Amino acid sequence: MIARRLDPVALLAAPALIYLFIVYAAPIIYLLGRSIYTDAGWAFGAYTSFFADDFNWKVIGNTLRIALLVTLLCLVIGYPVALALARAKGWSQVILLAAIILPLSVGVVVKAFAWQIVLRRDGVVSQLLVGLGIWDEPQRLLFTEAGLVIGAANVFLPFMILPIYSVIRQIDPRLSEAGATLGASPWYRFTRVSLPLTLPGIVAGMAFVLSMTVSMFVIPSLLIGDRFQTLATLTGRSFLLMRNEQLGSTTAVVLLVLAVGIVVGSSLLARRLGRNT
Amino acid sequence: MNRTDSLTDLSNMTQETGFLDVVGAFKAFGESAVLKGVDLAVGRGEFVSLLGPSGCGKTTLLRMIAGLLAADRGSVRLAGTDITTLPPHRRDVGVVFQSYALFPHLTVAENVAFGLRARRAAQSEIDRTVRQFLELVHISEMADRSVRALSGGQQQRVAVARALAVQPKLLLLDEPFSALDRKLRETMQIELRRLLRELGTTAIFVTHDQDEALTMSDRIAVMNQGVIEQFADPATLYRAPATRFALDFVGLSTRIAGRVSEVSGDTLTIETPLGTVRAAGSFRPGAQVLVAVRPERVQLHNPETGPRTGETGSNQLSLRVRDLVFQGARMLVHFDSPDPMPIIAEVSDGEAMRLAPQPGMTLDFCWSPEATLLYPAQS
Repeated sequence: MIARRLDPVALLAAPALIYLFIVYAAPIIYLLGRSIYTDAGWAFGAYTSFFADDFNWKVIGNTLRIALLVTLLCLVIGYPVALALARAKGWSQVILLAAIILPLSVGVVVKAFAWQIVLRRDGVVSQLLVGLGIWDEPQRLLFTEAGLVIGAANVFLPFMILPIYSVIRQIDPRLSEAGATLGASPWYRFTRVSLPLTLPGIVAGMAFVLSMTVSMFVIPSLLIGDRFQTLATLTGRSFLLMRNEQLGSTTAVVLLVLAVGIVVGSSLLARRLGRNT
Repeated sequence: MNRTDSLTDLSNMTQETGFLDVVGAFKAFGESAVLKGVDLAVGRGEFVSLLGPSGCGKTTLLRMIAGLLAADRGSVRLAGTDITTLPPHRRDVGVVFQSYALFPHLTVAENVAFGLRARRAAQSEIDRTVRQFLELVHISEMADRSVRALSGGQQQRVAVARALAVQPKLLLLDEPFSALDRKLRETMQIELRRLLRELGTTAIFVTHDQDEALTMSDRIAVMNQGVIEQFADPATLYRAPATRFALDFVGLSTRIAGRVSEVSGDTLTIETPLGTVRAAGSFRPGAQVLVAVRPERVQLHNPETGPRTGETGSNQLSLRVRDLVFQGARMLVHFDSPDPMPIIAEVSDGEAMRLAPQPGMTLDFCWSPEATLLYPAQS
């Protein structure tokens, strides 16, 4: 076998790697160290006591449940939008794309405060649901899980739409036409042609939204408050309020493992799908 | 229709029209009309080509018949049923796309099975039909491969097998061979024609390649700017193009502008800058016309080595050779022309050796009045 030399072009990644090591990897390694190193020496006591506490399991459950619900809501709303975006032409595409991307430039804090107004008992959503006859009387969505899911989905929706859109755009529109001329109904074409071919985009979008929602801090803090803890808010509380650096480091590491698991798992899945599609 | 029926029907099928009837098809994109009221009647089992330059509306007409594009006006009837407003998946019209449009996430066999699965055929029938059609296009050994691993010619075969496996009433082919090299294209032309004949499938083939259309078709519809200029069998189209466009688009021809000077019965005498020409036709004296003749209908004589005129009554012009194009079995001799239109004769290689034409040499350019084609001059 011929020995592989380092491609000189790869050196172009060096500045980014050095930067990431200093501002990202080093602190995380430090964090990991703090969770397993005490004055008494190296110990995994923090983890055993963390996992022994039912409250912490509930926090992990909260984190994953909210993340999954937000991701599913984004997928259900985002997929049709991505289809429409790929089908749109000219100005309508520009406007649609701007409508999706521009909200990203509005800070999460601003958006979260806006949602506080919308999700109040006398807010737009409540009034709409009463008006439609779904609710008998106005209810408060703010400081509920439902409100959190609705608000977070709004913030992360573009990260679902854009990867799916970029995959759909590369699919030959003739494929659906070919399916039609073979006698396949629109639904059959969607489930057997369009959906399988867009799976890599769906996986990428879900990975984006999942990894961002498991670690979101500002949105749950503003939309649901202290009574509902996720790994990220618990980490924040541990460092900022309780001054318990070991607990904070531990929850941060658990969160990191979850996020890394999602990213690695989804990229493996996307590669497998990419090979088949 | 089963196979033996289709084979015995071959002789009279071209007379039978009305299996597919397109009436008054009109389509405009914005301001520009792409189809300007096209009528097309195709008989059962016929192989019809839509031949024309890009932008002539042939692909638009094809997509309209497939139901992939809604007509602004006009109707489409297939096998006695009005399908004008039916969606494509209810039309039973198969399409082979120019880009093949194979499903990249499926294997060869799965691609061919797609239409049968969509129609909820029994698994045993699917297996049998897929095997049969993969054999018909000689690609059985590739059944379990991904379609992305195939060459262009192999993908082409899969696309044809996939479209035929559901046994559509009508098969439409949109320039299916344009991406193949010449040799493969010629093989595929012959194979496809044989296959469709065996299956008795009615087919419409879109192409801009006149050789392809002449080789394969029972009839050819020459399209130009959204209308069909002529719809005829290949020999008629070549020997007697109905319009100036059909003449230009199919085959080579000598073209000389002239004016009718004398009419006696249906024999016309036409004055051209190169000499007097006689032809059969019905034009008034004084009419401006275009005289045309196919290169292989022309005989060349060397006035010095063998001073002879053509047969009695033959047209004869004395012209100077400009260029020689050697093509192996034949040679094209181009002559000086008073205007940008070509003057061409085709001689066999044997004839070329006897004549030994050289640029600058003057030769007698002879053809019979019956071989003369006449068109009104462009206004």
